[in-house]
Amino acid sequence: MNEYDLAIIGWGAAGFAAAIKASELTNNEMKIALIGHGNLGGTCVNVGCVPSKYLIEASKVYKNLKNPLYAGISGDGSLNFQEFMESLRNFVSDERTIKYENVIKNFKNVDLINGSAYFKNNNTVYVNDTEIRATNFIIATGSRPLIPDIMGLNNNYYTSDNIWTIKDLPEKIAILGSGEVAIELAYAFSSFGSEVHIFNRSNRILKNFDDDITSELIKSLKENHINFHLGSKIFKINDSGSGETSIQTEDGIYKGFSHILVATGRIPNIDSLNLDKAGIMYKNGIIVDNHLKTTNDIVYAAGDCVDQPIKLETLAGKQGVTAVNNILGGNESINLHEVPWAVFCEPNVASIGYTEKELRDKNIKYRTRIIGLKNVVKANILKNNSGLAKIIADDENKILGIHVLAPNAAEFIIEGVYIIKNKLTYNDLINSMHIFPTVSESIKICGQSFIRDVSKMSCCMD
Amino acid sequence: MVKTIELRVYGMTCDDCVLHVKTGLLGASGVKDAEVSLKDGTALVHADDTVKPETLLSLDVFRGKYKAQLRSVKNE
Repeated sequence: MNEYDLAIIGWGAAGFAAAIKASELTNNEMKIALIGHGNLGGTCVNVGCVPSKYLIEASKVYKNLKNPLYAGISGDGSLNFQEFMESLRNFVSDERTIKYENVIKNFKNVDLINGSAYFKNNNTVYVNDTEIRATNFIIATGSRPLIPDIMGLNNNYYTSDNIWTIKDLPEKIAILGSGEVAIELAYAFSSFGSEVHIFNRSNRILKNFDDDITSELIKSLKENHINFHLGSKIFKINDSGSGETSIQTEDGIYKGFSHILVATGRIPNIDSLNLDKAGIMYKNGIIVDNHLKTTNDIVYAAGDCVDQPIKLETLAGKQGVTAVNNILGGNESINLHEVPWAVFCEPNVASIGYTEKELRDKNIKYRTRIIGLKNVVKANILKNNSGLAKIIADDENKILGIHVLAPNAAEFIIEGVYIIKNKLTYNDLINSMHIFPTVSESIKICGQSFIRDVSKMSCCMD
Repeated sequence: MVKTIELRVYGMTCDDCVLHVKTGLLGASGVKDAEVSLKDGTALVHADDTVKPETLLSLDVFRGKYKAQLRSVKNE
């Protein structure tokens, strides 16, 4: 039996954040077991945010080389995809080494324990047949891709866990799903020149965003040569035996796919934890209270394994820290409406606060303004002005939600986070000077549209 | 009824720290006595049954250099 002050199950974003915060707050005195398996760092650095953004950014460069945006400029635009993917895998490895493997070496109070943990009782887990007892636990086991039950879908597909192993650019790829992972990878592969088809059972994409944002995004993605098959139920996947796959839907058969990517959502990794033995309740993830405490008083949970609507690396890290603060006497909670959200296709989609649908469901009165990106000089300079900015405000002018479809929106939505967190009005937004010309002006101009006709407004006008 | 609340206390480096933590604990409503150990980094708090153990963690003394974690609660 090994005893610890804190045992953290899972060494991804939430687990690492928790281990480091607990060490900081206790001058590295807290004896911590950080239990996990697979590469350190979990989904984000290994198979999530980091490789996907590397892929997307490179695909944009390639696309712009092949199709220069400005008169008088031309380029070669050749692609060695194998060499590129090798560089992607090396980059991931380097980031993991720098941000996780090297970092954790600074904390001598943290024991890395390689293995799968499962509860023996309310304060003890087994790992590799060794018992570990702890004063507190944080479960941070993350999530994994959900594989739908479709006939013929069997070892003939990729997910976001292993698409990074491919050597050759997919000639024709079917992507099942229309969430963030599906849209980002569809954008990247189509920009590299793959023929991309998105299949989804519902007729929407990005279900957490309002329709005006997603319908505009679909237009942009179609211009990037992505084929959408929305509201399309897949009956069967057929392998030809010659490396090509066909997809049978109620609309017909689509043939000749070199790759299938399943991106139909994620499910929490809680199956093997033996949660019942510890009195921990779960449904679509581990059930926690506002302070991230489970139904077992000494056990907390953080990140994708929690029963919550958002699965996001930044939220996971914040929850890991919050759980530790609460174990040490804090009374902290996280408002999920203050969590920013972005999809890194081009244009980016970025969002903070309430959507119109959420407000309608809650019967909260609101007003909305939307401006097209053609009103934003920098977007015109970038020749990327097909997006929009949308602000939702209440009767007292307080901003309830900001949603942007624009280049670099993921970089500047942080302005919206401060606005929402500090309960600011659109007058506060208008009175804050923005740099000209930037795409971030889209948020300010949208705020101005509450008080004037922005088509009759010159640049830099307050 | 009196109960014993065991806390793991972090951040103590000297006897002054022990005194500081002990004084902070004894100042809490319902706390009868506190045995603070520098060597073990612990505090055994004897308190009225009405004292909620979690409230000890957020005492002023644990808002700065020192931090406390609840280990166990036993009825005496």
